Amino acid sequence: MEYLIVRFPETREVRVDGLPQGRTNIILQFQAGIHDVTLGPPWNFAPLEQKVLLVNTAALDPYCVEFRRLPPAAIPISPGSPP
Amino acid sequence: MRRVRLGALLLLSVVAVGCAHYPLNAALPGAGGAATAYRFPAMVPDRPDPADEIFVCLSFSGGGTRAAAFAYGALRRLQDIDVGRGGTKRSLLDEVDCIAGISGGAFTAAFYGLHGSETFQRFYDRFLVRNIQRELVLSTLNPVNLARLVSPYYSRIDLAAELYDRTVFDGATYTALAKRRRPFVILHATSMANGAPFEFTQDEFDFIGSDLSAFHVGRAAAASSAFPFLLSPVSLRSYPPAPGFEIPRDVSRALETREINPSRYNWARQRLDLMAGKDDKDKKWVHLLDGGLADNIGLRSILRAYDRSGGFIAQRINAGHIKRLIVIAVNARTDPPEQLSRQERSAGLVDVFMKTATVSMESLSADTIDYAINRQNEREQAETNVRLCNQRLIGCGAQPFPSFAQDLRTCFVEISFEGLPSPAREEFLNLPTTFSLPEESLKKLIDVAGTLLDGSSSFQKLLRALRGEPRPGAGVGESGNCS
Repeated sequence: MEYLIVRFPETREVRVDGLPQGRTNIILQFQAGIHDVTLGPPWNFAPLEQKVLLVNTAALDPYCVEFRRLPPAAIPISPGSPP
Repeated sequence: MRRVRLGALLLLSVVAVGCAHYPLNAALPGAGGAATAYRFPAMVPDRPDPADEIFVCLSFSGGGTRAAAFAYGALRRLQDIDVGRGGTKRSLLDEVDCIAGISGGAFTAAFYGLHGSETFQRFYDRFLVRNIQRELVLSTLNPVNLARLVSPYYSRIDLAAELYDRTVFDGATYTALAKRRRPFVILHATSMANGAPFEFTQDEFDFIGSDLSAFHVGRAAAASSAFPFLLSPVSLRSYPPAPGFEIPRDVSRALETREINPSRYNWARQRLDLMAGKDDKDKKWVHLLDGGLADNIGLRSILRAYDRSGGFIAQRINAGHIKRLIVIAVNARTDPPEQLSRQERSAGLVDVFMKTATVSMESLSADTIDYAINRQNEREQAETNVRLCNQRLIGCGAQPFPSFAQDLRTCFVEISFEGLPSPAREEFLNLPTTFSLPEESLKKLIDVAGTLLDGSSSFQKLLRALRGEPRPGAGVGESGNCS
């Protein structure tokens, strides 16, 4: 298996390949290959989605993907819409 | 004149029944999907289902009535094991969340999925003790059925499906199976076109644009046990994708990295191969044979649910909902004395047919067991590494490394006749694969499943852990798999 950590300043639901999969800042396990990673609502994060390639990771050396928290003025009403 | 009329009537009857057609699976009604979609219930991330905490999956192998009786014996033993705590009575069978069934094992899995604990009052007479083979032959010799078999759209497997539907499953459809929340039953067949595994679940039927709700469980069991040469395949229509259907993301992404993960790629490719084009003129059918051709243990679907990001086990592990994952493979594999290598003349056509159909099953099954054990060890090792690392970091006053959502306890148990001492071992390994066994053999098979579970050190270790008992004699907790 491959290992992934999704970094975000707060605890938030993680969605991988369109489905809920645990939360931010913990180790998650997946099959090797490409996966789409995003977070659950509210949409106060960027980028909206990241495509990651998981290969040759280990539990102590996981792939880290980071999402930024957006300032309130930049938060869209729904994913992809203007603030 | 009377003779002419009688002859014309007879001719008309022959033509009418000769136009027989197998029952077509229904197309999906459209956006919104099937009325009663047979899928594992969706996970709610922040509301763990208490039923997920101890997550038990069983796999019932193929092997005709031998496998069905062995699986029944395992169910019966699990029902007798109390894992309740604090005065509450709860059997290990009550904890079962999913059952994968192949061929003979598919009958036990489906019957239990439909009837729960009533299985122990009904299944023995309804299926196990019957001479299904003779009933199939008699059904084929019935003049009406002989005429139906003239039709190119109706074959022996359709007669078998009708027999199972009528006399074993009482015409139950997947709507009835969906009424019991758990266990989720996955019956398996094999696609003739590419040898791919085919699961009777709505997730799989989505790819063929079809509604599983109205599909008869007896027909699924027939597909699962359509042994090549003896029975013909079960055919399904692959309809254009239902409006609103989107290829799941883990399938589309799997197609992009064949070199990194060929098995994930192959699985995704095979799902797309099931699909018909969007134009209804581009008609397509899926012809299904015995599930054992692709996986005779039935473990692969459970392992896929563990591996795939969309798998119902993977999601619950990552969310930390599953604390203990238990997989019990009930493997009715036999190993009769090998005769071919003792004869000088080359093997005959029948031997070649039988060997062609079964040789690959053996090596695939061994690979599947290895894969399951490796997956179990891999997770245990990963958790140990993180735990030890964090002990050191904390000891040095440093921030600990992130952990998994939940330390997962895993336990994989396989029971097979190989685990018996001689001469019982040889006796069971020599049992035939047939849909008719003498009662004496049936009773022995039912009992031996319990004997094997009771004799499994992993299983006993698991029971001690579930009951919160210390290791006998040592007075300390156990560690490692199944603890």
